[in-house]
Amino acid sequence: MNLILFEAVLTLPRIAFFRMFRISIDVGGTFTDLVAFEERTGQLINLKIPSVPRNPEKGVTNALTMFLLDHPPNTIKILGHATTIATNALLGQIDLDLPKSAMITTKGFRDVVEIGRQRRAEVYNLFFQRPKQLISRKNRFELDERIEQNGLITKPIEYNELAILLENIKTQGVESLAIAFLNSYANSKHELKVAEEARKIFKYVTASCEITNEYREYERFSTAIVNTVLMPIMSRYINCLISDVKALGVDIPIYIMQSNGGLSTASLISVKPCTVVESGPAAGVIASAWIGKLTGELSVISFDMGGTTAKAGTVRGLIPEVVPEYEVAGQIHMGRILKGSGYPVRFPFIDLAECSSGGGTITWADNDGTLKIGPISAGAFPGPACYGRGGNTPTITDANLLLGRLNPKSLLNGEMIIYPEKAKTALETLSRKVSMDLEETAVSILLIANSMMGKILRIVSVERGYDPRDFSIVAFGGAGPMHVCALADELNVKRLIIPPNPGMFSALGLLTTDLFHDYTYPVIRKFSDVMPEDYEKAYLEMKKEAVTTLTNENVTEKKMKFYRQADIRYLGQGYELPISIPSKVTMETVKEISSSFHAKHLEAYGYSSPKEQLEVINLRLRAIGVIPKPKIRTRNRITKTEPREKRPVFFESLGWVDTPIYERTTGIWKNTILGPAIVEQYDATTVIYPDWVAKMDQYGNLILRRDIK
Amino acid sequence: MKPDRTTIEVIHGSLIYAAEEMGIALKKSAYSPNIKERMDHSCALFDLERRLIAQAEHIPVHLGSMALGLKLGLSAFTGSLEPGDMILLNDPYLSGTHLPDLTLIAPIFYGLDLVGYAANKAHHTDIGGKAPGSIAGDSTELYQEGLIIPPVKLLKAGVVDPEISLLICSNVRTPEVQMGDLRAQIAANITGIRRMLELIEKYGLETVKASMEEIMANSERRMRAAIAMMPSGSYTATDYLEDVAGSLAKITVTVTIDTDKILFDYAGTSPQVEAPVNAPLGVTIAGVYYTIISVTDSSIPINDGCFRPIILRVPEGTLMNPRRPAPVAGGNVETSQRNVDVLMKAFSQVLPDRVPAAGLGTMSNVSLGGAHSDGSPWTFYETIGGGSGGRPISDGVDGVHVNMTNTMNTPIESLEAYLPMHFDSYSLRPDTGGPGKYRGGCGIERSWTLTAPKAVLSILAERTKIQPWGLQGGKPGALGEYIIIKKIGEEVKLTSKCTVTIMEGDRLIIRTPGGGGFGNPLLRNRDDVVRDIENGLISLEAAERDYGYKLP
Repeated sequence: MNLILFEAVLTLPRIAFFRMFRISIDVGGTFTDLVAFEERTGQLINLKIPSVPRNPEKGVTNALTMFLLDHPPNTIKILGHATTIATNALLGQIDLDLPKSAMITTKGFRDVVEIGRQRRAEVYNLFFQRPKQLISRKNRFELDERIEQNGLITKPIEYNELAILLENIKTQGVESLAIAFLNSYANSKHELKVAEEARKIFKYVTASCEITNEYREYERFSTAIVNTVLMPIMSRYINCLISDVKALGVDIPIYIMQSNGGLSTASLISVKPCTVVESGPAAGVIASAWIGKLTGELSVISFDMGGTTAKAGTVRGLIPEVVPEYEVAGQIHMGRILKGSGYPVRFPFIDLAECSSGGGTITWADNDGTLKIGPISAGAFPGPACYGRGGNTPTITDANLLLGRLNPKSLLNGEMIIYPEKAKTALETLSRKVSMDLEETAVSILLIANSMMGKILRIVSVERGYDPRDFSIVAFGGAGPMHVCALADELNVKRLIIPPNPGMFSALGLLTTDLFHDYTYPVIRKFSDVMPEDYEKAYLEMKKEAVTTLTNENVTEKKMKFYRQADIRYLGQGYELPISIPSKVTMETVKEISSSFHAKHLEAYGYSSPKEQLEVINLRLRAIGVIPKPKIRTRNRITKTEPREKRPVFFESLGWVDTPIYERTTGIWKNTILGPAIVEQYDATTVIYPDWVAKMDQYGNLILRRDIK
Repeated sequence: MKPDRTTIEVIHGSLIYAAEEMGIALKKSAYSPNIKERMDHSCALFDLERRLIAQAEHIPVHLGSMALGLKLGLSAFTGSLEPGDMILLNDPYLSGTHLPDLTLIAPIFYGLDLVGYAANKAHHTDIGGKAPGSIAGDSTELYQEGLIIPPVKLLKAGVVDPEISLLICSNVRTPEVQMGDLRAQIAANITGIRRMLELIEKYGLETVKASMEEIMANSERRMRAAIAMMPSGSYTATDYLEDVAGSLAKITVTVTIDTDKILFDYAGTSPQVEAPVNAPLGVTIAGVYYTIISVTDSSIPINDGCFRPIILRVPEGTLMNPRRPAPVAGGNVETSQRNVDVLMKAFSQVLPDRVPAAGLGTMSNVSLGGAHSDGSPWTFYETIGGGSGGRPISDGVDGVHVNMTNTMNTPIESLEAYLPMHFDSYSLRPDTGGPGKYRGGCGIERSWTLTAPKAVLSILAERTKIQPWGLQGGKPGALGEYIIIKKIGEEVKLTSKCTVTIMEGDRLIIRTPGGGGFGNPLLRNRDDVVRDIENGLISLEAAERDYGYKLP
């Protein structure tokens, strides 16, 4: 495959000397994207090269090497990185074999992680399987110790027993060790003591309370185990990365995107790798929040449609929504993870709904002749039929091509030839199976794909009690801007934002976030029993730890910010709501906490019961190390855009229309484009539907509005 | 006019999604751990004719019964339903399961026209009666099992009836929890109504109606095609429930496949008994539905259409179709599992490469209750998984729920924080999976010690006398057992159905059955035998005895 080099935005002439770049590199399944931002001039450089699936760090160094062709190494100040290596290892990718790992747990409970929640992911499937055990039963060892729910030690550790046990585990050739005891959330002493002893023998050790100290043993144990098996893989990866980057003459700190949307130093990720499992997808939502701020949109839905999947997330008041827990490597059904199909990890994850509807997703007919979409993807190889790489099954991209939405000659500025007749042949075969004509088949593919994607947008909006009409959608990924108008029509969204480089937008997220560290303090007490001084004591304790961590990351105290939250519920309920906690809790402000809980409950579930008792489950602190954000300069090259050509494009409401095709260039368009229209650019195609108008803002974003006549 | 197929497909997806969303609303705002942690609830949408259109995949045993509950429960309200009304009922002879399952039905009005129903069923932790948790192991008639709610309007024009609420609160041990869960049930139905109306707004009533017909017709076609693939003929099977009024009770079913129709005849089944294991018709139907879907093609969308090729004959006054006031608390949980065992055994003769050996065949229901030190009552209920049966191409799964239930366990740390229980073990039981070429799954041991002065314990379980069967040369799985070790050291073996008082320091040990094996154990892959030995799931002795394994 050719190495593709592309510089999308060059706003200023090159002055190599004084420039300082902040660089982000997003390694995806198909492409590795590099975005470089020059702090002084506001210049943005985008590079896109093929990923190296077996050696993801090579993608990073290849992209960097490419960048260094034109810029000296000492112009790079910071490197941000998003990686899918952790997910791929858990999904069993070859060359990423999980290391031999073991676990030490409380006597009588070694099967807690195997039994899990005792349920099966698919109710009616008699051939269901559990996800494979990451640590097999023979490597799960028990220690005779016990701590009660109130933290009382009722069975102390026998150190002789522990020494023999550790020796025994060592002789099994174990590389990484998990330590997880019952009720360690209430008293971590035993876990920490065993970890201390174990670290004298093993290089990789995880104590569950060091990763998450919340109650519910299965989820906490599972989190510890995921961390344990990833630790050697991630450490090696990061070490390689650091030395490879150094070898290129670039001696700078490397930051990695966590699933919570914040960065963390690479060395911290080596010991807490379970925090980066959904690193890549998080970056897109963060970038959406940033562009929302830039364009004055506090609430946006982020819609990312790439090659294999579509993902949606919500940003409210500039803050991306997160979930406190996620099942990694699980199966997805109708936008949600099938409970029990993956490995629970308790850590804040940017809340994403996902469906198998990407450009490369295969469409097919079931035995009954019903048209189906996914979940299998043709990926980059063989890719959609129209890529001419040997794929002969039709994909969503092929349907878009047949309906005139994609350029029928080539993509990637002419670097990739397109074969429309191959798409046609593939779709014809399918159309016979579903007894439709060719055009009807292609239209149906889009309708069904849009309906699937409409659902994930609903999951992140309507289902959470938010009215999508109050949001703008940020559409990105190679295929996002092609489908977003149809989705907006369905959800009644009136405003869309298409960033300048939709296909490389996620990488931008790495440049627009801060260092995040999340801390939790378990409480599990009636709200009325938690005194103001209890809050202050807990937050102080967490803050102390946070300050140490941030200081080690060279963050000065001025650049530190802290956000307080608590997980609260009605006494007896099973799910908590996250509630903001005042910066100083007093007898007065305590009342604010309860009233904001009742209000939030009303908003989320349609009722509140102000007379009922509340219960505080956890206090949370998010510590932020502020990193300066890119200040995108407005662009001053104003141009008037004219259609390059016209071609017939199919629209659901109008049928075939001879549609103007525009080319998206770096200048700011002063004129408005009326739908129906197509905007083509290197890394994406935007389809502007009838009744929509597009304008460009001063940052080069395409802003689409529904034209209300 | 028939809508185009794409529109139908899109409407179908939206209906299923709406049912799922109802489940999420219910779970998230529920109070009792039974719903919030274990998801012991189901949600569904029905058309005007009260036919099931879409269901969320929660608990199979609820769904066959919910359709029945709609048909029988609403008959008294024909013509008298108004927008904002919701009907509550739990009478098992109408709503089809047992008293703790509260069914809430909401009519959906488009303008002034009734267009369908949103309904959900949730298992409440207590609905009164003789034992905390309302699943006593020793009831002899329905009236002992708790408050019986006939179909009543809990909501009238959107307002909860305070008198009905008060009546319920006065009859249950933990009224705040029950009221909290009922509010969550209301929230779920509101979600369902909203989504259905949005669909109608968007596509028009006629299109939605026509699409629903087509969705059901499609499932019917697919189910008939699946049945037509099976060899026509009659296949009979029998299995037993134990400790039923001191003896065994028999369930017999004859499955007759006649081209694209299928008949289930329960002639030969024991008469109803004075023990809480009678299965109301709704439970029996649910088992039939579950089995036919899972042995044919679990990708067929579940709705009324799938069930049209099914003909049912269940003699009245039997275990599988009792007359009032036979007690039914365990019919839903225990008899329903045995029902599926019998049905699967019959299908194993028809589809030998589709049907697994018997799974643990019990839900191992444990109910516990007492008073906190301040006198306020507490109740607790859970079910415990075990081994699933060995399968034609793979081992059974260890420590899991099978067939008619899929409820989660309650976290030990949650129980220890809230209830007077101290856990001693939660582990897989070695040597309990039935030997076979594909081994049955292992059962579970779960044990705890009471830390309150005293409590009332009810066990409702099965397979402590008759082992889960193997198939095609596979051996049966191990029996379950329920033991109390008194504080003073005395060991008491409990029967599979009982209600007893336990004291502080007494320890309960629950050992659930393993699944049956599939195929001749001597043909088991040696590597798998070695792996099981290493993992401690088979002892060396058992490997030698059952698998002819010799140490290398």
